[in-house]
Amino acid sequence: MMMEVHSPSYITQRLSLSRLSGAFVLCVVLLLASFVHLSVGAKSLDWMTIWHALTAYDPSDLDQAIVRESRQARLLVALMVGAALALAGVIMQAISSNPLADPGLLGINSGAAFFVVASLLFLPSLSHHYLPVFAFLGATFAALLVMALSGSQQNSERLILAGVAITALFASMTAILLLIDQQGLDKLRHWLTGAIGASDLKKLEWVYPYLLGAVLYSFVLVRSLNAFHLGERVAASLGVNVMLLKLSGLVLVVILSGSVVAVAGPIGFVGLVVPHMARLLIRNGYVWLFVYSLLLGALLLVLSDIAARMILRPYEINTGIVTAFVGAPVFIALVLGKMR
Amino acid sequence: MKAVLFSPRPLRLGFSSKVNFHARASDLFWLMFFIAMLVFLFLWSAATGSYQLSVWDSWSIVFDPASMPDRLVQVIWEFRLPRMFAAALCGAALAIAGVVLQSITRNALASPGLIGVEAGASATMLVFVVILPSVIPIVFLPVTAMLGGFIVATFIWVLSSAAGYSPVRLVLVGVGITSMLSAFTEMLITYGDIELVESALMWLGGSLYQTSWQQVYVMVFWLVIPGTLIWLSFRQLNLLVLGDKVAFSKGVDNRKTVPFLLFLSVALTSASVATAGTLTFVGLIAPHIARRFCSNRHGALIPLSALIGACLVVLGDTLGRSAFAPLQLPAGLVLVLVGAPYFIILMGRLKR
Repeated sequence: MMMEVHSPSYITQRLSLSRLSGAFVLCVVLLLASFVHLSVGAKSLDWMTIWHALTAYDPSDLDQAIVRESRQARLLVALMVGAALALAGVIMQAISSNPLADPGLLGINSGAAFFVVASLLFLPSLSHHYLPVFAFLGATFAALLVMALSGSQQNSERLILAGVAITALFASMTAILLLIDQQGLDKLRHWLTGAIGASDLKKLEWVYPYLLGAVLYSFVLVRSLNAFHLGERVAASLGVNVMLLKLSGLVLVVILSGSVVAVAGPIGFVGLVVPHMARLLIRNGYVWLFVYSLLLGALLLVLSDIAARMILRPYEINTGIVTAFVGAPVFIALVLGKMR
Repeated sequence: MKAVLFSPRPLRLGFSSKVNFHARASDLFWLMFFIAMLVFLFLWSAATGSYQLSVWDSWSIVFDPASMPDRLVQVIWEFRLPRMFAAALCGAALAIAGVVLQSITRNALASPGLIGVEAGASATMLVFVVILPSVIPIVFLPVTAMLGGFIVATFIWVLSSAAGYSPVRLVLVGVGITSMLSAFTEMLITYGDIELVESALMWLGGSLYQTSWQQVYVMVFWLVIPGTLIWLSFRQLNLLVLGDKVAFSKGVDNRKTVPFLLFLSVALTSASVATAGTLTFVGLIAPHIARRFCSNRHGALIPLSALIGACLVVLGDTLGRSAFAPLQLPAGLVLVLVGAPYFIILMGRLKR
């Protein structure tokens, strides 16, 4: 809407055409990465086996069974987790007007993780369908604490430090719980660093209604976000209810990152890195930023998961650790480039 | 009401003046108050444990050992006192380091762990506990951890000041490096042998279990020298809080003073991390409590927050020992649990 005011419509058309083809290229790359993801692992499979497993599945062939039974599930989880985290990052950076916001850095993931661990240890009989609800509660609690600590002025340094303090708080509370319950530590220590596994497909079923709703609702917010990008006052004068926008943004971030934590544990830095990658391709317009971020987030997580399984083959590193190794240098580069 | 007490010769750090140190009566009162508090906490802590004593008994054991049974004297002097001394010294060291960092970065949320000392020391420690056990004798583990902390802190300083020093950069680069190192630490925790990981985790949580007098003597050395140097440069800190430009105009060369002060606070932090594991929440909260009594005058703030930090760690250690007995919670975790709510309320008030 904003763009049409300033530029002739054919330019807009060409722009969106190039964006469309860019998205198509990303889709193809994502598809290729997914194939690689299916083929590598403790046992390498060739591409024909995978193709057969996907098109003409023969359960008696063990290799095809590996693809269908475990790797396919893991791939789906990686795609969903990456896309959700990237979207959470874009929304967070938009509503906090802060290029360094990330659900992992700001303590939201660790709040959700603490609540999930506490619910697993104290209410073991509770149905696992309630796990996402506890994750949402923890994420909300952590987000409110960070907001209280960081104050009203827009100061990215203070926001990050508030996030660090809250992360420390929740991490040590989780550590106390795990010290009290030593078997819990052995069971949960994989999950606590952000692990993606085949068994998570079951967990995905608990959260996908929330994820789907959150993605759709975030596209509803696109116009308000475009206006908000110009500044809070401009947005208000254009008729955007800024309070409502911030509140919905917060709810979306909580749902997206809470769901991810419930499925795969706290995975950091995807939400930080992907929006910046997407902004290299898309300067303005939140529709395309969202689309590109979803694709790039899925791609980043699939690639990280491939790396996690390749580096120490036949062992695996947790995916959350790989994303931290990729994301932290990007964070430092951003700080050195942007902060004065 | 001011009283001229004594005038230490000002430390020459590109800034010298002949101003005497003015101690206010209220500062002296609070210093005395917290010294008394520390003594009381010591006696209470010495009395608390699996063998319970009265505070009066612990008083007579500490100050008049001959009159008490040998067995009790041994329990207190061999097991409880070194642990408490180590707790108090580490708390004081971290509190002083916290004051320095909060003043240099002019950020109320800065803590001594921020410049990577803690993360560096933890990573080094875990490498030598989990991956390469028995490569380094246990006696030298703290020294190695300290070295790791120093290396990481130096790296962060060089990286953040390569294109001109600014406090914001220092803090954020510190956050980035720290999270990378903690990913590495987590990797070791996830894949290490669970027995080794358990003992490493206990240490990481800030546990003072099995502290010897020897460690206490080493820690006294590491607290007194850097702590005194930092206290002597309280005027530079007073000026740095006002901003780098103001400080520069008053003759504080922040290109020399800031690295010097950071170096001292890294020394304090890494020594206490090596002795007691990660306790750095003390460094975040003790200066804030101290500021409620003497605001931002560093001459009084530094000793006062050292005392408060010492009180906090002794308190946290004793609670961790006794609250869930026989389970021992590390002092660092107890402190975060107790301190964090207070801290959040405090910051909420500061905002207005």
